[in-house]
Amino acid sequence: MSPALLSARGVARRYGAHVALAPTSVDVRGGETLALVGPNGAGKSTLLSILAGALAPDEGAVTVATPAPRVGWVPQRPAQYAKLTPRENLELFARLEGVTEPDARARRLLELLELPDDDRVSSELSGGNQQRLNLAVALLAQPDVLLLDEATASLDPRQRRRFWDVARAVRGRGGAVVFVTQNLEELERFADRVVVLLDGRVVFEGTLPEYEADPRADVFA
Amino acid sequence: MTAVALLVRKDLLVLRRSPVLLGALVLYPLLFAVLVGLLVRFAADRPRVAFVDLDGLPEEVTIASATFDVERVIEQVNDKAELVPMEEEEAERALETGEVVAAIVVPRGFASTLRGMVESPTLVLRTGKGGLAGRAELSTQALVYRLNLLLQEAFISANLAYVELLVEGGESEFLGNEFDVVGLETAARTLDELEAETDDPAALERIRELSTFVDEALLALRQADETLRATANPIELETDHEAGRTWLLSAQLQSYALALTLAFVAVLLAAGAIASERDENVVARLARGLVGLLELVVSKVCVAAVVALAVGLALALVFGVAAEVAGVQGGEPWERLPLLALGLALAGAAFGAFGVLLGVLAREARTAVLVAFLVALPVVLIGLVPEGSVEAAGHVSQVFPFGHAQRLFEAALFDLDPWGALAREAAWLLGIAAAFAALARMGVRRLLV
Repeated sequence: MSPALLSARGVARRYGAHVALAPTSVDVRGGETLALVGPNGAGKSTLLSILAGALAPDEGAVTVATPAPRVGWVPQRPAQYAKLTPRENLELFARLEGVTEPDARARRLLELLELPDDDRVSSELSGGNQQRLNLAVALLAQPDVLLLDEATASLDPRQRRRFWDVARAVRGRGGAVVFVTQNLEELERFADRVVVLLDGRVVFEGTLPEYEADPRADVFA
Repeated sequence: MTAVALLVRKDLLVLRRSPVLLGALVLYPLLFAVLVGLLVRFAADRPRVAFVDLDGLPEEVTIASATFDVERVIEQVNDKAELVPMEEEEAERALETGEVVAAIVVPRGFASTLRGMVESPTLVLRTGKGGLAGRAELSTQALVYRLNLLLQEAFISANLAYVELLVEGGESEFLGNEFDVVGLETAARTLDELEAETDDPAALERIRELSTFVDEALLALRQADETLRATANPIELETDHEAGRTWLLSAQLQSYALALTLAFVAVLLAAGAIASERDENVVARLARGLVGLLELVVSKVCVAAVVALAVGLALALVFGVAAEVAGVQGGEPWERLPLLALGLALAGAAFGAFGVLLGVLAREARTAVLVAFLVALPVVLIGLVPEGSVEAAGHVSQVFPFGHAQRLFEAALFDLDPWGALAREAAWLLGIAAAFAALARMGVRRLLV
């Protein structure tokens, strides 16, 4: 078993009296694709945001391997500046990430993800292109761990295939992919391991075959 | 380039792509500044004052043989206060409700006492306890001063008429008695004739003594006009309306316009900018170690400071060119622009920090801008309350940047020795900026939820 690149230990998050995520422990290992599944409001996005470092847990902590892996995060809703073009967004985030050649990196990602490179600002792009830009921003730092929060929901089949090609390339380099999904086809096709959350608690953790064999599998999704 | 600089550059680029927003942000407060300026300039100078006539003043009052049209006299002094004729009870109620800031009461017997010229009649001023009471008192003093001037002129004219009678002679009337006066000029001529007709040395000596007296009296009385006026007005005030700047180019208006424009531009911009980071779902991405939360707050404060600097300098430039074109004496102190630039940046930062705090509390950009607008308005208005008139307003105003910014701009641009005021107000603005930024940093995690 590969060593854990990220380890969440007893992480929990509350919003007032509402428990979004009860104390939860999850390891993210190199070379694997981990799926987080569960109904709406189960705490999947909260756990992913905590793993991404975008949300501080109220309890517990996320530890990282040494050397620290680079983490790319694709939130459910595109997280980029609406009044900047895709190139400007990528160059800005590349500089913030400390990428050595931000202009070149931005150009490569524009080509890789077939993003428009003109004067149109990102708010003028289609939903699919906005989501691909969202992925491109996450890929800027050449992440070892890619965290995807229902990232393919607004993509057409061709875009989705390309998206997963990129994600699998991360895993192919010994990195890890963690994805939140409600899409059974994606789950069965890409997941190595599955964590099921229900009402903020982990109710299942195992390999894809174990998940498929579990009688509760239909209820989980 | 640091994270703060990158975010500032991004925000400026976004702003450049929203010219309508930028234009509205600049033009609206500028228009507002002029309107407020008009209000401050004219409304406060001419408070509404009830005029209660218990004496039943006639349409015309004759004093010292001068006849005054009462209504015209009131109109003449009306530029100092808006006199509203009222009954006594009505005036009391209006004073209680604040409809008028004071009431001038003309007591019974006022006109007859005035006509008698034996003692001075009294006008009674009733004021409320509010901050404008002092202003109303000053306006009423000015009004009484103007009335006294008019009466004084009448008294002088009456006295001069008597002097003229003494000099030239003629018929007159006093307290109902008609009489003829020979007059000094006629007396002089008569004495000359007598001197020519007589050889009696004793009579000649007496005639010459009388002639000398008449000549000296004539000489003195011919000076009476100027002497009387000089005695009545030992010091005269000569007003030269061409000596200073027009109100529109005044130091006060410039400093208010700058502070007011910045108050709206920086507060609204900073509030909208920080909240839009959340609206665009970017703040969580930045918070993943790309940009510290304090850096995020500081970047918005810097954006506000940069925009405030640019807008403020542009306004100062417009004012300066207008002063030059108008040929205003004293001109625009161009050499003070670096000082002004420092003040603009500081004020922009203080307003910006306040705006960031509002944006953090409101969380959504649209709500943030609305809240910022609603809050900026009273903050500005409380800063416009004249210093010392309402103590509580002065204390509240201290913790907001508006008053400090206005005083700093005025000192930077026009004070002969600005350093004391500059240092004091700059320290205030720095402190306010730091305090609001610290509060915003404490609350900025709200944007992550």
